[in-house]
Amino acid sequence: MTTLLEVSGVSVTFDGFRAINNLSIQIGEPELRAMIGPNGAGKTTFMDIVTGKTKPDEGRVIWGERNISLLGMSESAIARAGIGRKFQKPTVFEEQTVRENLAMALKNKRGPLDVLLYRRSAEGAARIAELAEEIGLADDLPRRAGDLSHGQKQWLEIGMLLAQDPRLLLVDEPAAGMTPAEREHTTDILKRAAETRAVVVIEHDMEFVRRLGCKVTVLHEGAVLAEGSLDHVTQNRQVIDVYLGR
Amino acid sequence: MSKPDIAPRRSFLAENPSVMWFLGLLGLFTLGVTVLAEGFGLALLSTSMVKILGMTLCLCLIAVAMDVVWGYCGILSLGHFAFFGLGGYAIGMWLMYARTQGIVVESLANAPIPPTQEEINDAIATQIFGVVGSNELPLIWAFADSLFMQLLFVVLVPGLLALIFGWLAFRSRVTGVYLSILTQAMTLALSLYLFQNDSGLRGNNGLSGLQNIPGLLHLPQSTIALWFFWASAAALGLGYLFFAWLVSGKFGSVIRGIRDNEARVRFLGYHVESYKLVIFTLTAVISGLAGALYYPQAGIINPAEIAPIASIYLAVWVAIGGRGRLYGAVIGAAVVSLASSWFTGGGAPDIDLGFYTINWTDWWLVLLGLGFVAVTLFFPRGIGGLFDMLVRKP
Repeated sequence: MTTLLEVSGVSVTFDGFRAINNLSIQIGEPELRAMIGPNGAGKTTFMDIVTGKTKPDEGRVIWGERNISLLGMSESAIARAGIGRKFQKPTVFEEQTVRENLAMALKNKRGPLDVLLYRRSAEGAARIAELAEEIGLADDLPRRAGDLSHGQKQWLEIGMLLAQDPRLLLVDEPAAGMTPAEREHTTDILKRAAETRAVVVIEHDMEFVRRLGCKVTVLHEGAVLAEGSLDHVTQNRQVIDVYLGR
Repeated sequence: MSKPDIAPRRSFLAENPSVMWFLGLLGLFTLGVTVLAEGFGLALLSTSMVKILGMTLCLCLIAVAMDVVWGYCGILSLGHFAFFGLGGYAIGMWLMYARTQGIVVESLANAPIPPTQEEINDAIATQIFGVVGSNELPLIWAFADSLFMQLLFVVLVPGLLALIFGWLAFRSRVTGVYLSILTQAMTLALSLYLFQNDSGLRGNNGLSGLQNIPGLLHLPQSTIALWFFWASAAALGLGYLFFAWLVSGKFGSVIRGIRDNEARVRFLGYHVESYKLVIFTLTAVISGLAGALYYPQAGIINPAEIAPIASIYLAVWVAIGGRGRLYGAVIGAAVVSLASSWFTGGGAPDIDLGFYTINWTDWWLVLLGLGFVAVTLFFPRGIGGLFDMLVRKP
């Protein structure tokens, strides 16, 4: 396992509120990592920083074996570098079909001219079918994404992430609003994805985290409070005080 | 799914029957008008009617462009009629210059001493700019004697203005209503500038006599009108085909994505600003071309045509016709602009209520406003949406 993403000494302040405070995290490849912590601990802000949505006041975000800094890059350039993100609220393109949603995410050249002259190919279609199978939407390709159930939308968004073929997936609360059966399927998808890539999952539900069976990072007030196996961190006195105990 | 062994054009039309329907109906309409026109066949349609229909086709073309930039890409531009006007001015400069040159050369031909080139140039400048108290050709008229250059400007001036404006606006991530206000400010600034006498484009007099095509003065207007009608129909057909192709594939998928959730498209790795810039500039260029075909039929262009209200009407046409469907834009532009000239041109009879007479010249805007509100409230998909209901009923 080599280091893929290295966040070191990062701080962000919003109107005087220190959302991230000297945060340092390393993510390897491949790796599955869960990130937990109370509301306002900086979990989502961490993802905002890595994906370029928020610029930190200080610190470094280093990516890949060529040690590129992500801080000067635009959101789209970071996405093209291999970082995919799933938002807390499922955000798929509701007016378009499942197939169109996946096709848009499929790893291909992203320039306007490339896209304009893009021709649908057999490989592309096969890849879309394969992804749809993976996320359990094989029979729903011609359906409008807006007509899917909440859980199916979450899966579609995960499918769009996988279609980008990223090296790092940042997944924000994938199981929110899902039935127990849907949660189980989601765990399987994420675990399979993490066999070859780095996957970071933000989740509140401890049962879900336990099923992931991976290293856990606990954030509190914008910094890492504890890191290790779930059993290890849940026995940590500080973690119990600030998060579990309440 | 397209089969790779079929030519793209054929498979595109086969996959998009609505485009085929549209082109067929446009062809039938063109044929019908030609047969009925004064300049060709049965002379049941007056030349001025042929011109109005030709101009309406140009308005349909800019409405299609507006639908692409607003209905598909979500940029509510209140500046596309400025691009339309700039295209009109660019071609109008050549029309006016070349025609004036012809008149001047002819009148000086009988002078006892043959005029020098300088005298001819001065005479042309005085002829065109006397009305704003000037006898010099402004610098922007440097290429007015060249049809080729002015045609180039029809594309370049709106294109470059849109490119520079769009680049500045989109890279600063100005979106939504703020962008609309910005485009409206650009339009207002442009029309106020053109209203000035020293703008170099004859201030509020604008350019006139554009219906007289230099080199074709021996032809009757009925023939010229028909030619321009055909050119407008061809431009609408080609423009429609081009935009339908543009929005049908993956590119269309991306720009509709930008309309619905710009940030999500960005995180998929697409450089959203580039896509907006491409769409904004491309539609501005098509708007300029539509304007260049419109104003020789209208005969006159002045800064009032560029005023922000024109661009707002454009948005109203597209909204009434139905956003996000190209035929909706065509229906909206045709129905509303023709109704507008019927009501305000004295075509509609006044209604005498006894205590009050409804004079449509004054009340048309009220009717249009009510229509717009009604469509927004009760048929958000516009007139085009009614077609969808008919076609997609199982």
